Amino acid sequence: MAQLEQPPAGHGGPGWTPSGETARPTWGWIAQAITGAFVLVLVTLHMIANHFIVAGGLRDFADVVAYLSNPVVVVLEVCFLVAVTWHGLLGLRAVLFDFGLSRRVETAITRVFTVLGLAIVAYGLWLTWTITSYH
Amino acid sequence: MSEQSVSPEPIDPGSSWASRRRRGIAGWGDPRGRRLGGWAFILNRLTGLGVLLYLSFHLVVLSLLARGPSAWDGFVSLAGSPIFLCFDVVLIFGLLFHGLNGIRVTLVGFGLVVDRQRAMLVALMVIGAIALVVAALHIFAAG
Repeated sequence: MAQLEQPPAGHGGPGWTPSGETARPTWGWIAQAITGAFVLVLVTLHMIANHFIVAGGLRDFADVVAYLSNPVVVVLEVCFLVAVTWHGLLGLRAVLFDFGLSRRVETAITRVFTVLGLAIVAYGLWLTWTITSYH
Repeated sequence: MSEQSVSPEPIDPGSSWASRRRRGIAGWGDPRGRRLGGWAFILNRLTGLGVLLYLSFHLVVLSLLARGPSAWDGFVSLAGSPIFLCFDVVLIFGLLFHGLNGIRVTLVGFGLVVDRQRAMLVALMVIGAIALVVAALHIFAAG
């Protein structure tokens, strides 16, 4: 591996191990890169569709209901929710892991964040269903 | 591969990445001996945590939609105030930096354009600065 000025990422990325040895990318780092790519595209769409092309920068209630009546929009927004939740919690997990925690605590964090992520996505789905039911 | 060939600052073992990582948050937040990529790393984490905090508030605020038109539309009128618009610009900065720097981190992490990462960071930040100015002008013009 080429000599790097800095490590590529704070998620156990390639070439960044405490011992200084070359390492394969961890599953967390690869998942972070993939979800990051999805978030980059979807957050751009989300910001343009919900804020930059909307008069005043924010949709009123009737406009939100009309916006979510389009199934393509619902699919894209739900994909955005899943990707951003996954990316955000995985990133926070990487920051916490840098505290030098024990393996037991790291496993507990992973489990708690998995449940939390599922709960956030469930909340988003419920909220989307509730809003679309106004249509 | 020896640590000497991987560590970015092999002259001072106290500021090597291995050392930084062992020291946890005190390590990655330590400003001593950092180059451009090191500052980008700190800012990447700060913007990531900031955006995560914003998203938490965002999810709570969106629950107003479940309470019907009056609750949501009341918030919409409040969100047009100058202080909210300033926060919007800070949010756009966080999203732009984290997203654009993330492109560099991902490419370099997969072994691509490693020897051009500094130039890539500068180019991405120029793009980000232009996008931030355009977004800020739009936000205050629309708000």
